[in-house]
Amino acid sequence: MSIIKKIAKKDLGKLLDEWSRDFTVFSPSKASGIARMEVWQGGEASFLDWYRNTVIPPKDIVLPLLEEMFSFSKSEEGYKLETPPADDSKRLIFGIRPCDARALSIIDMTYGDGYQDNYYMQRRNNTLLVGLGCTNPYDSCFCTALGGNPHDTTTMDVMLTDIGDGLLAEAVSQTGKELLQKTAELKAATEEDRTKAENVKQAAEKKISRNIETEGIAEKLRACFEDKEFWQQTAAKCVGCGICTLLCPTCYCFDISDEKTEDGGVRVRSLDSCSFSVYTKMPMENPRSEKWQRVRNRVCHKYEYYPMLFDTIACTGCGRCIRLCPVNWDITQTLNSLPG
Amino acid sequence: MTIDNISHRKKFLAQDNAYLPHIAVIEKIIEETPDTLTFHFNFKDEKLKQEFTFESGQFGEYSVFGVGEATFCISSSPTRRQHLEFAVKRVGKVTNALHRLGVGAEIGFRGPFGNGFPLDKLKGKNLVFVAGGIGLAPLRSLIWNVIDNRKDYGKIDIVYGARSSADLCFKYDLEQWAKDESLKMTTTIDRDDGQWKGKTGFVPQVLEQAAPSAKDAVAVVCGPPVMIRFTFPVLEKLGFTPEQMLTTLEKKMKCGIGKCGRCNIGDIYVCRDGPVFSYAQIKDFISSEY
Repeated sequence: MSIIKKIAKKDLGKLLDEWSRDFTVFSPSKASGIARMEVWQGGEASFLDWYRNTVIPPKDIVLPLLEEMFSFSKSEEGYKLETPPADDSKRLIFGIRPCDARALSIIDMTYGDGYQDNYYMQRRNNTLLVGLGCTNPYDSCFCTALGGNPHDTTTMDVMLTDIGDGLLAEAVSQTGKELLQKTAELKAATEEDRTKAENVKQAAEKKISRNIETEGIAEKLRACFEDKEFWQQTAAKCVGCGICTLLCPTCYCFDISDEKTEDGGVRVRSLDSCSFSVYTKMPMENPRSEKWQRVRNRVCHKYEYYPMLFDTIACTGCGRCIRLCPVNWDITQTLNSLPG
Repeated sequence: MTIDNISHRKKFLAQDNAYLPHIAVIEKIIEETPDTLTFHFNFKDEKLKQEFTFESGQFGEYSVFGVGEATFCISSSPTRRQHLEFAVKRVGKVTNALHRLGVGAEIGFRGPFGNGFPLDKLKGKNLVFVAGGIGLAPLRSLIWNVIDNRKDYGKIDIVYGARSSADLCFKYDLEQWAKDESLKMTTTIDRDDGQWKGKTGFVPQVLEQAAPSAKDAVAVVCGPPVMIRFTFPVLEKLGFTPEQMLTTLEKKMKCGIGKCGRCNIGDIYVCRDGPVFSYAQIKDFISSEY
């Protein structure tokens, strides 16, 4: 039996307050000057007025831009290493968009495969996803081309639909069901609310017009791998800033480096990008020294290599790499113009 | 990669955390060439020191705390367990920091990572080892491994070269192998430098002259990319099939466990799926970025 409840928009702040008693609640915020998920501070919830999607994808809640892996200190007995205390706090991401939630399930494939990456997996397993379907997608969005849609519930615990004066809440996972059952602020939903939600979902899906043909795309990419001229043309206007990867909700590559302090230091990992030449640079050579090789790797990794490894395209069509690119580089244009 | 392979390697994770190094102590430093040192080291933890095992061809991530980590193969043989060895050419930040360390200094070690050489496929075969410069490091682990189990293998040919006599690494090994009547050792330098009394010429050419038979043989090649590129055609000419040629690839690595992304060649991660590949596999790669 599915659990469906409702919250009036004016009471949203109270709902987040209630959940904040059990979780660290993250919700859309512009407090830092850039739209991202931040810890709910209480008060009136006004983000629905402007929220379409965050600039910084919510992956940074489970995969921080910079994180300490361990610290080291030196004494007479030699080096001592210490891992930071395990972060087992319960988190809840409120309002995560379906494309960004699905992106986490894509990162899970790499970090959960073979050696489990415990830094990531622990946070991920302790994070509840309360998704909010899109009513006003950007024209750069193309989730429907990749098997998603503006109200896709993949990997969500609870899915919310904006029905005008309120949000309809549907449990997706068992954890989501338990959450909805015990939340006092949520009220019963009517049949009319459900009909409204159904209409909203259908209307949103129709708003997405950008498309790519994914059928046979890996084969096409393989066929044009050696087409240097095509890739050089494709990469011509790219400035190599790395925004498309750093703000991509599925990109997970990282660097490991040491930060020295007075009596020791810390080893940190930080988000890295295949757009940078140093990413693959060895002292004597570099397999991807040219920009076009790096652009090719980024596109092929998402649309050819990841499907070979995990049977999934490592892109959810969130459109950030199109919206936020300083030179309007457009991956859908590239994918739709592959030779052959 | 098989599950068994993973669980085997998981044995040596510090606190079940693949990113946390073990502390190791440098016991001896040998100057191989003016820019290359070999380090002998042992784990500080007595239990790990006793239990640690690895396979020839596997690698580790070595830390100089405060400077960072770098990737090197384990250059000693698993048949000689008194200590572990790795060889470092001074080329970048971490390698320079390693060169400044002395005996007794502590480093970090994560590993062993990667697949190693397929010993089961080499047993009973004639073996041809072809190496250039510091590329001998991973091969010498295998060569000693084979010598220590000599009866399991057929004929052994070693062709090793460097730019000049000063650039020859592991001279103490070269001397022993030259004296060993159970194998054929050929050492060469690129050009006559006045002090050298042995062969001169590039490794691929010298290999062609040595002309080891391809029958029941496997060739194992490691060296600078240009040497590898010219060696494969020579081996093909001598009758070796791509399946009979093995090499070990070098890529920039950070994690060593297939997560951080950078060592990919198409869908292959060299750290996790390699670093040892047959030429047949390499020819099958969907990317030419190696």
